[in-house]
Amino acid sequence: MNPILPLMQREWLQHRFAWALLALVPLGLALLALSFAQVGVGVDVDGDTITEVTDARMAPVFALGSMAAGSGLLFVILWVASLIIISGLARRDHGDRSVEFWMSLPVGHGTSLAVPLLVHLILVPAAALLIGLAGGWLLSAVLVGRVMGIAEWFTLPWGALLGAALAVAARLLAGLVLATLWIAPLVLLLILANAWFRRWGLVLLVVGIGIGGWVMDRAFGQPIVTDLVRDLLVNAGRALAGASGGGMVIGKDSEPDLVLGQVPGWAWQDFVAALRQLASPLLAGGLLFAAGCFALLVDWRRRGASAAA
Amino acid sequence: MSTDQALVQAQHLSVRYGARRAVDDISFTLPKGRVVGLLGHNGAGKTTLMKALVGLVKAEGQLSVLGRDPLRERVALLNEACYIPDVAILPRWIRVADLIRLMGGLHPRFSAERSRELLRRTSVDLTDKVGKLSKGMMVQAHLALIAAIDARLMILDEPTLGLDVLSRKAFYEMLIDEWCDGERSVVISTHQVEEIEALLSDVLMLNEGKLVLSISLEDMDRRFVALSHDAAVADEMAAAHPLLRYRVAGGSAALFDGAPPEHVQALGRRVRPSLVDLFVALTRKPELDRTQF
Repeated sequence: MNPILPLMQREWLQHRFAWALLALVPLGLALLALSFAQVGVGVDVDGDTITEVTDARMAPVFALGSMAAGSGLLFVILWVASLIIISGLARRDHGDRSVEFWMSLPVGHGTSLAVPLLVHLILVPAAALLIGLAGGWLLSAVLVGRVMGIAEWFTLPWGALLGAALAVAARLLAGLVLATLWIAPLVLLLILANAWFRRWGLVLLVVGIGIGGWVMDRAFGQPIVTDLVRDLLVNAGRALAGASGGGMVIGKDSEPDLVLGQVPGWAWQDFVAALRQLASPLLAGGLLFAAGCFALLVDWRRRGASAAA
Repeated sequence: MSTDQALVQAQHLSVRYGARRAVDDISFTLPKGRVVGLLGHNGAGKTTLMKALVGLVKAEGQLSVLGRDPLRERVALLNEACYIPDVAILPRWIRVADLIRLMGGLHPRFSAERSRELLRRTSVDLTDKVGKLSKGMMVQAHLALIAAIDARLMILDEPTLGLDVLSRKAFYEMLIDEWCDGERSVVISTHQVEEIEALLSDVLMLNEGKLVLSISLEDMDRRFVALSHDAAVADEMAAAHPLLRYRVAGGSAALFDGAPPEHVQALGRRVRPSLVDLFVALTRKPELDRTQF
């Protein structure tokens, strides 16, 4: 019997209302705001004067921007929520003592820890991206409708637009997995710190990294600690998007339809660049460190069973 | 107890917490088809021993449960065993129906239909959230979940704590009449010894981590002798060094390990010693005289 799906189901049962709330409320508020607030999109043409954009040729850009904003908004909200939830993973069932119930079931300690990590670090943010994309599609109707008229929305080049949106979504989903690899050492260290020091874990970790980095920098001239943390975070960001060094190069007079057609190619090249960045001693060391943290978490959980006796 | 087809075999088993030995060099065997009472005062080591049996604490010595090393093969072992570590430990955020669904995915021998059938005998509703249940109802829900597992060994640590007497009786009847089938074994620890004495086939008694008795109830009746007697012969009884002297209806009694001397036997009338009296005798200092209470 494979316990992975039931353990995923457990996460769903425990957090579904919070997830629904975190996903639907921002989208609902954005829809309300776009529907009833004064809406205008302007371009700063000469550094001083804002010119309102009503050119129908920009409608695809508005639509794509809405979908990107919807995805980005939900992704950030649910990713941060997931980080908060997962940071307390080791002790989360201790409050109601249900950890004893879970440990009385035939599920390994490693599996019990790994499945929530998978759900909260990968699946929930990925779902947020896709739901945000769908929500952004609705937002685009409202935005384009209010700025240029709803008829423009119906005449959008949906083939190119959805192609571009799906390419970006695929890039972000793949990037999410890669970014998770980059931040895994920091996340697992945080979970371990919270396991060992309860609520003081985050504080001690931040202070420890801060002081450690400062001491290494001032005493030895080696800002290695802060550099490592910064490099892990920067690489995680690049893994998510922008690994090729920047965004798409769009000419001043480029037609939006042509720009949309270039998006899938850019997404692919950016993903390949993100893959190339994986060949890094920093990532290899980070993953080894993360594996060590995970092993210590498993051991902590096993010892926790003894301590409860 | 025979080692043939033993479900549990422990040899020189010890569990330490730092310098303290919670379980101290105990050896015993549990055959299949038995209902074993694990008795001991608070802190005697019962919970620790049960956790060792399901691989949740590291033990020294040799321990085999269902032919497996509990610590190294905990998951495989728990596929064939079920365990209640304590009462009121179900996750509070979940509904009973969802918990049944999860259990169906997490335990290969769990029957969702059986658990629903057992729950129908209680006041717990499938739509109830665990956190809204009273302690007794939560215990009923937990027992219904565990009793729906087709296991070879059931390990229960104070399983009926918080249940009213009718629910306790109903649970024990279900356990003996429906769960036990002559092949499965149950290890149960409880302080309500009088209630389960009639159900037990064997008893393990722990005192300060040491095993002071491991015996079947048939052998217990043969080995231990209680003599009720008049107050007039109390001194002669005391002179025979019984394990325990205690009050019974209409007089006093003395409990002996083995047959007392013939002249002492003639002074009283043989009665069956209760498990509680034996427990007191073996886990308290023998010089204490309960007739003084």
